[in-house]
Amino acid sequence: MSTVNHHPESSMLVDFSAGNLAIAPSICVSAHLHFCNQCRNELLRLDQVGSKLMSEVELTEVGDHLFDSVITQIDQLPDSSAPAVSSTSDMADGRYPLLVNKLINGSEAAPTWRRMSASVDVAQVTTGQKEYEVALHKICAGGKTPRHNHNGQEFTVVLKGSFSDEHEVYKEGDFLFCEPGDIHQPMGAQNGECICLSALAAPIKLSNPFGFLMNPWLRINPM
Amino acid sequence: MLGLKIKLVDESEEPSKTTASLSTEKRSDQWSLLLVSVAENLDRRAFNQLFNHFAPLLKSFAQASRHEGWFPGLSEDLVQEVMIKVWQKAASYNPEKASATTWIYTVARNCRIDMLRRKSNTQHLPLENEDFWHEADEDTPVSLMRQKRSEDKVQSCLARLPKEQDEVLRKVYLEGKSHAEASNELGLPLGTVKSRVRLALQKMQILVAPEFRDEVL
Repeated sequence: MSTVNHHPESSMLVDFSAGNLAIAPSICVSAHLHFCNQCRNELLRLDQVGSKLMSEVELTEVGDHLFDSVITQIDQLPDSSAPAVSSTSDMADGRYPLLVNKLINGSEAAPTWRRMSASVDVAQVTTGQKEYEVALHKICAGGKTPRHNHNGQEFTVVLKGSFSDEHEVYKEGDFLFCEPGDIHQPMGAQNGECICLSALAAPIKLSNPFGFLMNPWLRINPM
Repeated sequence: MLGLKIKLVDESEEPSKTTASLSTEKRSDQWSLLLVSVAENLDRRAFNQLFNHFAPLLKSFAQASRHEGWFPGLSEDLVQEVMIKVWQKAASYNPEKASATTWIYTVARNCRIDMLRRKSNTQHLPLENEDFWHEADEDTPVSLMRQKRSEDKVQSCLARLPKEQDEVLRKVYLEGKSHAEASNELGLPLGTVKSRVRLALQKMQILVAPEFRDEVL
């Protein structure tokens, strides 16, 4: 396994802090931050780097009209923004990161568990991008997943419970990065089901008129 | 370009009289005080002062962007969007967690991403960009003194970084290039780009050395 330290590597946090990380990996980093105080503190300090760099740029004059324009727009702001009404899927969980619950509740089609193997269910969530497939995985207690290869980069965050593979035990909040070619066989912990969020990079896709019917993702990815 | 370097935290200046009263152990730089006053009193004079200070910075920040699909004409749009967000979200600013400048940087970063996503027609993402930076409720604030120390450390280290580390950091934070994109542009292996950034961050004492990470937990 390329990274077994249970946190995103620093370059990922830096890209996140600079706003340069793609949506799907950002979702996983953000979910991890919910659980990890250490990475949150690191991010605060990384944001300081961005802020110092920003505050040392040469100044660019702005037109006088700009402040007036901002004030005009502020005066037209609605009193308070209406709270977003969202359905609450039973897949959401108060202990999950807010962003994960929003993804579950706001998904275009309500995510549903789909049996993938005897011990793994999967539920895809909509994220409006095509580079990664984002999904929740549920491994039943003690469930053994098929030993599998990774075709593309995969980021995983444990949301609930724990699982282990040949290398490590992954607990709530742990972040796991698999590179193409990494092989492992995750096993759910004996004491309860394990739910993970993962983003799997799209394998090379054949463009075809049937859309997802021929999507190579359907082959795979028990974890 | 005015070619001016501004002084970020000028504690020698008198804070605006309109600012809210913060006890002495709290953050005392003038921008943070002004921002708190915007939040507490909807203080337009304070907001004007913030605007005069930050708008030129934000415009430069916007112009530094080299994102695909970004063009200089968007710069003033970004300035406006950020300052409107600052007004709207001032109440969520927590001076115990970050300086006003750092907070406004994060607002600017998020607005820049939102504008890019809107342009690229990202479809049905049920998230706003700020959701990615939502803070856990049980978050324990780092003491102000530690934060101030780390801010000072970042500032003094940035001024003394070797050119090649400085170059990469600027590409990442100002131009908005990922490590991978920076490596392409500079014609350097990805590992070299990563290690330059890592070296810079270690100097600033931002990164816990990897071998200690698990122990710190």
